[in-house]
Amino acid sequence: MRAPQLEAKLAIKIIMGLVVLYFGGVLLAAGIIIYPVISKTVPDEDAISVINSFLVLIFIFEIIIRYFLQQLPVTEIKSFLLLSIPKKRIIKNVLLRSLISIYNVIPILFYLPISIIMYFDDYALEQTVAWWVSVTAFSLCLNFIAFLANKNNKVFASFVVIVISLYTCELYFDTELLRASGYFFDAVLAEPLCSVFPLIFLIVLYYSTFKFLKNNLNLEGALGTKKQIARAGRYDFLDVFGSSALFLKNDLRLIVRNIRPRNIVLMSFLFLFYGLIFYTTQEAQSQEMLVFASIFVSGGFLLTYGNYVPAWDSEYYAFLMAQNLSYKKYLDSKFRLMAFAVMFSTILSLPYLYFGLDVYLMILSGAFFNVGLGTWITLYGGMLNKQPLKLNVKAKAFENTQAFSGAQFLMVLPKMALPVLLYTIPARFLNYGYDINHTAGIASLALSGILGLVFKKQILNLMVKLFAKDKHAMLKAFTQK
Amino acid sequence: MILTENLNKSYKNTIVLSIEKLEIKKGECFGLIGNNGAGKTTFFSLLLDLIKATSGSITSNQIEVAKSEEWKSFTSAFIDDSFLIGYLTPEEYFYFVGELRGIDKASVDSFLETYKDFFNDEILNQNKYLRDFSKGNQKKAGLIATFLGSPSVIILDEPFANLDPTTQIRLKQLIKKETESREITLLISSHDLNHVTEVCNRIVLLERGSVIMDKETTSKTLQELEVYFSA
Repeated sequence: MRAPQLEAKLAIKIIMGLVVLYFGGVLLAAGIIIYPVISKTVPDEDAISVINSFLVLIFIFEIIIRYFLQQLPVTEIKSFLLLSIPKKRIIKNVLLRSLISIYNVIPILFYLPISIIMYFDDYALEQTVAWWVSVTAFSLCLNFIAFLANKNNKVFASFVVIVISLYTCELYFDTELLRASGYFFDAVLAEPLCSVFPLIFLIVLYYSTFKFLKNNLNLEGALGTKKQIARAGRYDFLDVFGSSALFLKNDLRLIVRNIRPRNIVLMSFLFLFYGLIFYTTQEAQSQEMLVFASIFVSGGFLLTYGNYVPAWDSEYYAFLMAQNLSYKKYLDSKFRLMAFAVMFSTILSLPYLYFGLDVYLMILSGAFFNVGLGTWITLYGGMLNKQPLKLNVKAKAFENTQAFSGAQFLMVLPKMALPVLLYTIPARFLNYGYDINHTAGIASLALSGILGLVFKKQILNLMVKLFAKDKHAMLKAFTQK
Repeated sequence: MILTENLNKSYKNTIVLSIEKLEIKKGECFGLIGNNGAGKTTFFSLLLDLIKATSGSITSNQIEVAKSEEWKSFTSAFIDDSFLIGYLTPEEYFYFVGELRGIDKASVDSFLETYKDFFNDEILNQNKYLRDFSKGNQKKAGLIATFLGSPSVIILDEPFANLDPTTQIRLKQLIKKETESREITLLISSHDLNHVTEVCNRIVLLERGSVIMDKETTSKTLQELEVYFSA
């Protein structure tokens, strides 16, 4: 009776299903083409040993994703604890169930096609099987490592330090430690029996996770939520921002003190590196692609955190709406938060000057766009999002897509396409006989953002109207459990 | 003060609240009782404009709550734990609410000082976020926050639930003291007939969305209600 919007939920589920299918398809396609493509582009080397040398990067990426997003289904055990089921069985069940996770389809979708193609490319059956077993075992090891690391911050911190130092050594001292890890998989191909090592490793990890859970399977250990010691009074420096400081302070506390927004903000830093993919291959890219990348570099926060403003406040939305708060100040503080984040990313992206002033000017003009217009487009998109968010738990795999309605999906388009159009139209049409007028393009992009800032008051007033109109629909969605 | 006229709320043909006319006078301590699903929380949510009425209206101090936001400046409420911000410490929460109602930090501090007994040393200076407090202590913080800024309308949904016995008694004393010291229109819903008849001077009984009893509290009220609910 009090749970309407079933149709909307169904639609979201369908969209979600399509998104999963899409990513699955991409992974499968990558698995199928990577081997033949490498054989063709690097004919001198063994395609598989090239892949092997990349595996370590895939594993590093995988563990980062797993660390931030994956959660063992431990919270679901609570209700079983009081039933007469042996603890061992409960734990076994949890550990085995954790293997049926969306993250564990990588071995099947990506590695399996590679090994099948290897088989048809004159590798012996036992070689391909051994290779697949080894990479799969490693991938599953990460499943447990991510869980153990999650319970202990030091583990992850030391992991990050090790990877960064190895990478630096690789860059400056020409060591081959990271690349050398590929030699193990080469060895597996040479001697298939070597594949027992990752299997042993997997079994050891399984039992240590098992032991860990067995010793901590109570409400204060693995199942409980850690009670943080609260630190207060460090946000007064924000008072310089006057009337929106009140909400800005809360927004910062929200990010710092809750698992989910904290992880999302940390992940938004990865967007800073997005430019590397494009700027290192500048010659092969069209200018439009570079603009696209520049928007990402400064707009990571908008694309990750910003999409869920105001859903971050969903847990206490009824409270906010019953308070004597000014919608204007509230929305203005959200705007400022996003604008600061863009400026901060723009400063952090200064090293891109290495690729030349043109590249950095592009990032800068993209940042202007993001501050002046991107913020508002994001905020409007966020207001279309009618899914509540739980703050202090991790996002489940693809849960983000649940909070991602079709209407909101449409908002991604202007965020991505608009800057490209703003660049390309003046750049291609005001070209005075040249191929492209880069200056006109970035000037137009920057100008659009400046106009957004000039008309900020008007845009804000419009947003306030939309926000007030949406109040009941939002409350209805956010208070549904 | 609060006038409800022809108020109806229904979800997909099921009527959850239907009040023809209900007037709550200024300074009244109004108790709302009824079994689960009677429409108590629905009524409060409508009063706070958290949900839209199917038809009819509520006017608070001549302001129609669904049309204007001005009632917010003299109204405060604690409905459930969604009225707390879990990641704030109680102090931060009080300062936040205070600032929304135009009260500076120092005044909030002296305000909190007067509720020291009620807090029983379990709320302030605990270095804990609200989400890590027990339900009862969370409620203590939320209840006291509604008194911040001397609002003239206060709405409390089941204020006695989850509180320990000592705090329940202190809350009753507190409510009596507040209503005697200044003119507050206080709306309380409760399942505890004892408490509600003790503090409220008017009791309204809801059943399946309709008012079926509306009385000034007398010494006989509790007995009458007990008879009604045991039937």
